[in-house]
Amino acid sequence: MSINWKSGITAGVLAGVIWGWLSMGLNSITGVVEFEGSFAHNFMSFTFGGAVFGILVGGLMAIGGSLIPFRNVLARAVFTSTLMWLVIRFGGTILSVMKPTRYNVLTPETMQGLFLAIVLGGVLAMLLKKNMKEAD
Amino acid sequence: MERVLERSGGIFNALYPAVVVAALAFTMIVIAYGMESVAPGVHDAFHDFRHVIGMPCH
Repeated sequence: MSINWKSGITAGVLAGVIWGWLSMGLNSITGVVEFEGSFAHNFMSFTFGGAVFGILVGGLMAIGGSLIPFRNVLARAVFTSTLMWLVIRFGGTILSVMKPTRYNVLTPETMQGLFLAIVLGGVLAMLLKKNMKEAD
Repeated sequence: MERVLERSGGIFNALYPAVVVAALAFTMIVIAYGMESVAPGVHDAFHDFRHVIGMPCH
């Protein structure tokens, strides 16, 4: 199953915004990161940051097409979001090696981030399935 | 009329890849890595978000 650009990006924006709020809520429960910014500032940054991540995953799903090795929407979305997170995180690891004082790698944050990447795929798949049902 | 609509659809279709490329650049430079040397002031803007999603920061 392949998705087109428009549905991938529009579902990605909405999924990303929801995911940003979920990330903020999950971290409040786990307490992995102690927030430094105010609630208003974080609400804006998590909303906007989530939307950008969502656009990226939705767009990559559209680009991926037959390159993504799954047919199921959920598997495709989770694969894409997790792979994207791993690639960006790998870039962070390289930066950490180059500038260890500037880029600290923390395992609890990494595990939470990986889990959230899977969650983003799940939210995006739910929205894509909903859009497909409405289109039928 | 149909040609005009088809043409405008083509323009929008051409914009979608550009949106994804812009999102990728923004994600890496501003959100994930907070590269002050590339875009001054971006480190603080997404500091907590960066930590929560597991990206390295100080």
